[in-house]
Amino acid sequence: MSDMKNSSVLQVKDLNVSFETPDGRVDAVRGVNLHINRGECLGIVGESGSGKSQTFMTAMGLLANNGHATGEVNFHDTQILGMSVRELNKIRGRHMTMIFQDPLTSLTPHMTVLDQMTEVLELHTSVRGDAAAKKSLEWLERVRISDAKRRLNQYPHELSGGMRQRVMIAMAMLCEPELLIADEPTTALDVTVQAEILDLMDELKRENNTAIALITHDMGVVARMCDRIQVMRHGVYVEEGTAEEIFYNPQHEYTKMLLDAMPRIDQPDKATNRKLKEYDEKGRDQNFLTVDDVRVEFDIKVQEGLWPKKVPLKAVDGVSFTLRPGETMGIVGESGCGKSTLARAVLQLIPPTAGAVSWLGSPLSGLNRKELNKKRKDLQIVFQDPLASLDPRMTIADSIMEPLQTFRPEMSRKDMKAKVAQMMERVGLPQQMINRYPHELSGGQNQRVGIARAMIMEPKLVVCDEAVSALDVSIQAQIIELLMDLQEDFDLSLLFISHDLSVVREISHRIMVLYLGRIVELADRHEIYKDPRHPYTKQLISAVPIPDPKIERARERIKLPGELPSPMDPTARLRFMPSKIAANELDYVPRLDEVKPGHYVAEHDELEKLVV
Amino acid sequence: MFSFIVRRVAYAVPTLLILIIASFLLMYAAPGGPFTTERALPPEVLKNIEARYGLNDPLAVQIWNYIWNVVTNFDFGPSFKYRDRSVNDIISQGFPVTLTYGIWSFIFAIIVGLSLGIVAAIRHNTTADYAAVGVSIGAQVLPNFVMAPILVLIFTLWLRWLPGGGWNGGQIEYVIMPVIALSTSYMANIARLARSSMLEVLNSNFIRTAKAKGLSERNVILKHALKPALMPVISYLGPAFVGMITGSVVVDMYFSTGGMGQYFVNSAFNRDYSVMMGITILIGVLTITFNTVVDIVYAWIDPRIRLS
Repeated sequence: MSDMKNSSVLQVKDLNVSFETPDGRVDAVRGVNLHINRGECLGIVGESGSGKSQTFMTAMGLLANNGHATGEVNFHDTQILGMSVRELNKIRGRHMTMIFQDPLTSLTPHMTVLDQMTEVLELHTSVRGDAAAKKSLEWLERVRISDAKRRLNQYPHELSGGMRQRVMIAMAMLCEPELLIADEPTTALDVTVQAEILDLMDELKRENNTAIALITHDMGVVARMCDRIQVMRHGVYVEEGTAEEIFYNPQHEYTKMLLDAMPRIDQPDKATNRKLKEYDEKGRDQNFLTVDDVRVEFDIKVQEGLWPKKVPLKAVDGVSFTLRPGETMGIVGESGCGKSTLARAVLQLIPPTAGAVSWLGSPLSGLNRKELNKKRKDLQIVFQDPLASLDPRMTIADSIMEPLQTFRPEMSRKDMKAKVAQMMERVGLPQQMINRYPHELSGGQNQRVGIARAMIMEPKLVVCDEAVSALDVSIQAQIIELLMDLQEDFDLSLLFISHDLSVVREISHRIMVLYLGRIVELADRHEIYKDPRHPYTKQLISAVPIPDPKIERARERIKLPGELPSPMDPTARLRFMPSKIAANELDYVPRLDEVKPGHYVAEHDELEKLVV
Repeated sequence: MFSFIVRRVAYAVPTLLILIIASFLLMYAAPGGPFTTERALPPEVLKNIEARYGLNDPLAVQIWNYIWNVVTNFDFGPSFKYRDRSVNDIISQGFPVTLTYGIWSFIFAIIVGLSLGIVAAIRHNTTADYAAVGVSIGAQVLPNFVMAPILVLIFTLWLRWLPGGGWNGGQIEYVIMPVIALSTSYMANIARLARSSMLEVLNSNFIRTAKAKGLSERNVILKHALKPALMPVISYLGPAFVGMITGSVVVDMYFSTGGMGQYFVNSAFNRDYSVMMGITILIGVLTITFNTVVDIVYAWIDPRIRLS
């Protein structure tokens, strides 16, 4: 036991953190204990507001000004809570470092990568000048950033999100700290990039014997990375144990609930209490929604010579599909693949540059505003950020009622109110909330408002644009369930856009994978998981973490080399056909082949040729 | 960078043309003229005078002649009010005066304004913050026509340190009071802008990263926070600088400096078309120039901004 105590890098005893706010005192952390041993990865899991980040912010001395902490935080045997900033600065950044959730804003925008890295060395070590630059380069290479030498003199905005997180990690590792605190390090990143960053952190842990505190909401990430896990909720500890204990023998109700609510890509119909009703196309009108070769291009100004030139950015580059009544089509892809743009082009919220959308047999594209507005009654959308997409000055009942006032002006106020009350009940919003404002509601409740607003006209098609992405898993599961219920009740068709493959598999009948504005694969939800054909689909599926330590650690990942090409690059279409680039057929457009009935795959080179 | 400046110059030409034509038309549309006096001149005399200044020509010809003279000879014409002086004379006499006290005001406003703003932000919600905010609100609410007499009262009449007016070739004791009177409200604006933008920057994620690296508060502010916090201040400084170096009528009149500010306002009262046009064009050119300078400084501070 004493041995264990000595090896513990960070020890937190009975930590309490509270914030003085205009609305009174908020206790964010209440009596938390934890310890992290050398070379160990401790996972701190919890939903938003569980105090998991604040615990470590306190340890790093990064508590907001209105925050107050009591208790003990020991780094080895030194109490660092309440230490002067000057003393703490000898430890943080040197022996204990931290990386953050949002790599896009966590680097100083006006300093080069080199300056930001050497600054750390100059502060904590005697390494200077060329030696510092050399050491920085070494670390950039160790975090496997492409073209490391060039990155040194670049500014953060010239790097992608994944590259910036690698720079953050390299910067945090420069002084070879004993403890690396990672606060949701991959939450803002695409799943393929997440897989690489997690691999990298695991490697650093093993090679440098660095202890890692991994703060996350994602059980899949935890299953992959952590030796020990502590589950937090509402600022207190719920359960602690090894990864195996937590996953295979959870004791606390909350842990069980978290595990149950987590969708799994290998086990569909698991997160929710109900199963997706398999799609039956008998007796269905096939002329529901047809999207034919839709393209959306944005003109981007490029500085070249004296006058700026406009170059088209192909956000959606020729997408065709049909959607059947009562069916859910999942659209997955990583950031920048054009999934939101495609959905907006279908609804004519962004006019497509070319191509046609037809709705119930008549064209949607090319209609004037008035004609289009009539059709909008049947075409609705639910957005990602539930709070930001509601008018803060309208009560939720008014927001839900607004479409009625537009489309059914003849209805009496009383009838409208009755209808709103009925819809609120249907989506699970208590009646007494009728006069509340969006800021008084939780994220999940606001999303229910968004759904009620979209559903009030009983539309035939609803687009869900990352509608559950901002929600905690337990809430996410409830919302998915609600959407499935509504689908059955109203025979609703859904376009369900998400970056999360597990969620998409849970709710969609068919799944479309987009890459740089083009369909790379489209198939039934089980088919695409069991028999993915396109290398990108394979990579995507293999990158999704599965919340099961044994399975997750045994999985093999497919890595395709290279970064995402720019959508302005004319050869971007040939990302998976380098053979055509080699043959100098730069204008070649990969075909979409039907390999099996209903299973479409874009033409590509063999996976073996793509993986170097 | 080079192509950016070329492009800016190219855009400046039509902008200035529009400015000239619009001001010309506005003045033309206003009733009365430079030779309208309380006792009307005999019509023949008026006709002769108007012919001498070319006021009888059709409007388009007048505008064309004016632009032509400005472009080819750099000649803004004779003053209508001060019979023996040309606009060029008036500007070359008045502008150096306002330029002198304007530049000093600029320097003073930046140094004091930025210090107040930054200290207030760093010591947010402390006595230092409240004091700095108090000073800048005080400076803002005291207009310069109140400020000027107070200054004279204190420094000339009580303390007898400074002369109450005059310019005397811009000797330092003649410059001090005009500078203080002119710069206080600019200083207050700079302080307010600097404070709010510094507060915002200090709350951003990269400042949290800088702290997590173990940097001292001094280095966090100087190396990471200062540059981005200056951005809004800099965009304010372009027009503010032009405003300061072209002078203020209150300062010029109150301290009898002979600066350009008073000529500008008087020219409007006197319908002294040519002086007014000349100074308008000068201010237009300066505004365009310093907005371009602001953009270049912007790009230098923030690598994300590309000059395009």
